Amino acid sequence: MKSAIQTLLLSGLAALPVWQVRASEAAPDAGKRAVTEDVGSLVIEPPVLAVEAGHPASFLVTARRLDGFETDVTASVAVGSSDTGKLNPAGAGVVRGIAVGTASLTVRLGNHQTELPVQITAPPSDAPVSFVRDVLPVLGKAGCNAGACHAKADGQNGFRLTVFSFDPKSDYQNIVEGARGRRIFPSDPEESLLLLKATQTVPHEGGVRFERGSDAWRTLTAWIGGGMAYQNKDEPAVAAISVFPQERRYRKGASQRLVVHARYADGSVRDVTALSKFESNDKQIATVSEDGKITVDHLGGQAVVVARFMGMVGDSKVMVPADRPLPEERYQSLPANNFIDTLAWNRFQQLGLFPSEPCTDAEFLRRASLDTLGLLPKPEEVRSFLADTDPEKRVKAIERLLAHPAWADLWATKWADLLRPNPDRVGVKGVYLLDQWLRESFRENKPWNQFVREILLTQGNTHRYGPAVVYRDRREPAELTTMFSQLFLGTRLECAKCHHHPNEKWSQEDFYRLAAYFAPLHPKGGGISAPISGGNETFFVSAVGSLKHPVTGEVMKPQPPDGPQASIKEGEDPRLALADWMLDPENPFFARAMANRIWAQFFGKGIVDPVDDFRLSNPPSNPALMDALAAEFIRLNYDGKALARTILQSRLYQLGSEPNETNTADTRNFSRSYRRRMAAEVMADAVADITQVPTKYPGMPVGSRAMTSWTYKVDSRTMDAFGRPNSSSDCPCERNLAPAIGQALHLMNSDVLQTKLASTEPQARVQRLAAENAAPPEVVAELYLACYGRPPAADELAVAAGRFPADPKDAAGRRQAVEDILWSLINSAEFVFNH
Amino acid sequence: MAVHLNCDGSSRRDFLQLGLGGLVGFGLCDLLRLRAVAAETGKKPVNCIMIWLDGGPSHFETFDPKPDAPSDIRGTFPTVATKVPGVHFSEPVTKLAGVFDKFTVVRSICHRDPNHGGGNHYMMTGAPTPVPVGCGAFVTFHPSMGSMVSYSRGVQGGLPPYMAMPSNTRSGGPNFLGGQHAPFIIPGGPNSEHFRVNDVVLPAGIAEGRVSSRRDLRAALDRMKRGTDKMMEDPAVEFDRFYEQGFDLVSSARAQEAFDISREDAKVRERYGRNDMGQRFLLARRLVEVGVSWVTVNWGGWDHHENIATAYKGDALKTLDQGVSALLTDLDERGLLDSTLVLLLGEFGRTPKINEKGGRDHWPNAMSVLMAGAGIPGGQIVGATDVKGYYASNNVYRPEDFAASIYTKMGIDPRQHLETTAGRPVQLVNDGRLIKELFV
Repeated sequence: MKSAIQTLLLSGLAALPVWQVRASEAAPDAGKRAVTEDVGSLVIEPPVLAVEAGHPASFLVTARRLDGFETDVTASVAVGSSDTGKLNPAGAGVVRGIAVGTASLTVRLGNHQTELPVQITAPPSDAPVSFVRDVLPVLGKAGCNAGACHAKADGQNGFRLTVFSFDPKSDYQNIVEGARGRRIFPSDPEESLLLLKATQTVPHEGGVRFERGSDAWRTLTAWIGGGMAYQNKDEPAVAAISVFPQERRYRKGASQRLVVHARYADGSVRDVTALSKFESNDKQIATVSEDGKITVDHLGGQAVVVARFMGMVGDSKVMVPADRPLPEERYQSLPANNFIDTLAWNRFQQLGLFPSEPCTDAEFLRRASLDTLGLLPKPEEVRSFLADTDPEKRVKAIERLLAHPAWADLWATKWADLLRPNPDRVGVKGVYLLDQWLRESFRENKPWNQFVREILLTQGNTHRYGPAVVYRDRREPAELTTMFSQLFLGTRLECAKCHHHPNEKWSQEDFYRLAAYFAPLHPKGGGISAPISGGNETFFVSAVGSLKHPVTGEVMKPQPPDGPQASIKEGEDPRLALADWMLDPENPFFARAMANRIWAQFFGKGIVDPVDDFRLSNPPSNPALMDALAAEFIRLNYDGKALARTILQSRLYQLGSEPNETNTADTRNFSRSYRRRMAAEVMADAVADITQVPTKYPGMPVGSRAMTSWTYKVDSRTMDAFGRPNSSSDCPCERNLAPAIGQALHLMNSDVLQTKLASTEPQARVQRLAAENAAPPEVVAELYLACYGRPPAADELAVAAGRFPADPKDAAGRRQAVEDILWSLINSAEFVFNH
Repeated sequence: MAVHLNCDGSSRRDFLQLGLGGLVGFGLCDLLRLRAVAAETGKKPVNCIMIWLDGGPSHFETFDPKPDAPSDIRGTFPTVATKVPGVHFSEPVTKLAGVFDKFTVVRSICHRDPNHGGGNHYMMTGAPTPVPVGCGAFVTFHPSMGSMVSYSRGVQGGLPPYMAMPSNTRSGGPNFLGGQHAPFIIPGGPNSEHFRVNDVVLPAGIAEGRVSSRRDLRAALDRMKRGTDKMMEDPAVEFDRFYEQGFDLVSSARAQEAFDISREDAKVRERYGRNDMGQRFLLARRLVEVGVSWVTVNWGGWDHHENIATAYKGDALKTLDQGVSALLTDLDERGLLDSTLVLLLGEFGRTPKINEKGGRDHWPNAMSVLMAGAGIPGGQIVGATDVKGYYASNNVYRPEDFAASIYTKMGIDPRQHLETTAGRPVQLVNDGRLIKELFV
């Protein structure tokens, strides 16, 4: 077998050999290849080790391979120290500080060697073990303060801790003074109930949390024996954590140890790998053990492993490319319509994906009409589009779609899903006004920053100004905070209302500082009361109104998450400062969250998915594309229609849904078009349009479409079956487009469809086609164009036309054929799905 | 509309004290789980018929009369003896008193939410609302029991697992479990000659032969290529599964017969009462008989702030008394009671003191719940209220305990953790204790 380096030399090309070398190997698994083979260089991480005299510290050794992969060789290297009186190797990936000073750490693998100078520092003075600095991390790692155990509302068996230590003082009290002090036995620390339970020396429902003699056990005994300090004087707080390695391309089956460093406010660094909790966001791609070892499975893709330590989070990115990357030329020859394509192809190349073939003209028109307007193209539109020979006809079609008034109703409905309260709770008129306001906003294509600003700065009466009803429904600053952060910042802060966010950096302080912006907003007028709150309220800002932190009782000053404290003038509406921060082009959340929402409408899922859940542990499937899309949205002055145009014009949007050999398993990177079911309103309108029998909705003007309904209470069994959201359900939720048995049963059997098929109104499609003299193939063609947006293929035509009676005078037979063909098409996957 | 005297009684703090904070959690303490559930597995799966009396029925005029209380509390109805010596009900439920050997009454379930919206939510989901909600509210913050059963069992034989007649209850929705676990609604009045169940039977005027011909045509025309590789996550594959089941359902003679209430013996129909509610109870029996897991019969109008005596002398009570006793007897005679849980309740009880309009107002401090079947003993009274019916005073249970007991009967672990749409872990029932008298 040729070595990689030989191949490189022989070919003289950078791109091909990667592919050829890998293709020539019997198995791509890391385990099958000698660890010393094709090493380019060795790297020691972290670049600065945190070694204290008398304590161990972890490090990683990485081999950079010639084929671009990196592998963990920590356990395979020979480790040496320039001065074993100061620094001593102590097992795989561990050195021990012996004495203060400097020494050099050397690692060797085959012919490769590298070294790292190390500073051995004095351990923090003889300060006693601290509850906050030392004990809480141990309890967290052991899972004692998990929500299902002692952090339940009433604790467990009388012993209560706060979730993720959000209230250390109360935790301290419960341990030291709770149960009349019987949890702690200072005169014989090892006999403390706290330790006897955790080691299951006495029965413990939670099992063994750590062993006698373990590091955790020793920390706790030392703390109890040392006088149970709450916190040492001038003890620095944790400022941040770093995870090593930050990012890595893995071979399938490979594994990698992680190291976590905590940096404290005083600049000191501590190795907290053993005290950190780890979690992988995609366990099919990569799993992580409790002590921080990543194992990559046999699936290509990307994942993120998040480490958590005392409210701080850090991540290590995992990328697992395909076994056999395609040659670079394949990607370079792909045409790109705009930046979306360029960035998508880049990502595909990294992951070894290749885009599906472009969709057909008919597929494009149907898909673009459904995504842009929620409408199926009419048969005559399809005919003329297919007949058009202009190479720019897709671009022209996009402009026609964007100019159509249905655009506004589609987007108003999408935002109504998120903002619309239940009329039984807040009253009919306010909800109706909100609906009108939403429709008007999208009719005039209001820039999205202005749209959000108007909601954020709402004042006035619920019977005069649409958005006011949102405040009537979400009456508390905390409720508004939860909702607005999720909708406008794409960040789910809800967890931080009650405790530190479990896998994000958001703390309760962050939550209530944001909530404080809404504290001076007050309602005046009839509150929410039984049974249908017909009254109205006026919202106004006054100088009074502040918000206290629920644990500390501190009055919170308005401050955005990750932003500077707001400077608010006396008597000014603090929400002005909030809007200025949120809608500033520099804001890291808003444009991304909004651009991602628009993207998801056209691709069936977001670059970050779910669309309102941006976080370290849920990164964008294509970070560069997410950034560029947000930048473009800002450049376009938050014009939603303009961004939709960019998306529609991209070649990525115009890919087909059939997979190729590289992208069958891709469900995140958009290398093929993903099938998605029509939404409730779209389905209801489509059935009415295809049959040409409009649905009469109670309480709405004649001719109203499902997409214009202003409340879920407008009676429609079709919309119910297809999952229109119910505004009595609490959460600004995205629609669930999963198929359900009720949908199949509804299309198959409901009187709703059957009545439309059987309609004898002269304008009804079945009535007209049955009464006309058109030849069966023409009838079939019209039905196909109406349902599928394409003409039938020859064999389809033969099957369908074969349904017509041989006797042209058999009117009943002809009618039945038309009904049955239309029924069959409406009940097929090609109709129900947008593809 | 009447004024609701107790409509704004609960503070936010009350809800917090009831344990909202404890909803958060991770599945570490696995040892706690699956005990009672394990005991229920291996038995025939239990289906449930829940009769929901929206508005809140009076415990005084039904299962918890207080004959020794002053007249402004005890009301006008005499008590009647039940099948169990020493136990008395109030006159409006005389027929039920006659079949008391088939059910348990829990007299001591109580909570703190005097609003219809909040009370509905608490009793229907086992979770209090996280914020106070008004009386007009139809809210869901947590999955209903019916939706959870649908989620746990899935679709079998093409039958939607959760059905509601004639409309959904206020908090009967799926919340974060997703729209596919919303109840399948059967509107309309089954007492009418023209009544047909929608969507699960062939549309009017379509003969069976035509259905199979349509089915063949559809198979020939539905040519979109399916992503058979599971990794593709092609939703069309699931869609196909539902169609197969749907076709099985319309071609299953047994299922079709079950939906057709007109095939029921006329005498049986009489026994339930020839009115829409009575016939809904009968239809509910037919539905669970073919395997529907959860049927809710939603019955509104039980909010008697005025003239309660007149109301409880009227048709509603007659319909209820006759229909529910017929249902219990019928299930028992058919050997179905062991595998069918029957629940009769509303969101709360009524105030002890009759108000100046002759009505009773909202009272969550005490309520009576009828529970039968699925191994629940007959002729049993669980708990008690004080002599004037003010407070559950003995063996007191909370809605969490009620929900945990129902889930356990249905073979579902009430302590399991689910994830909300926001990714937050929630316990299905927060620390519910089993009502032990139901598990003897």
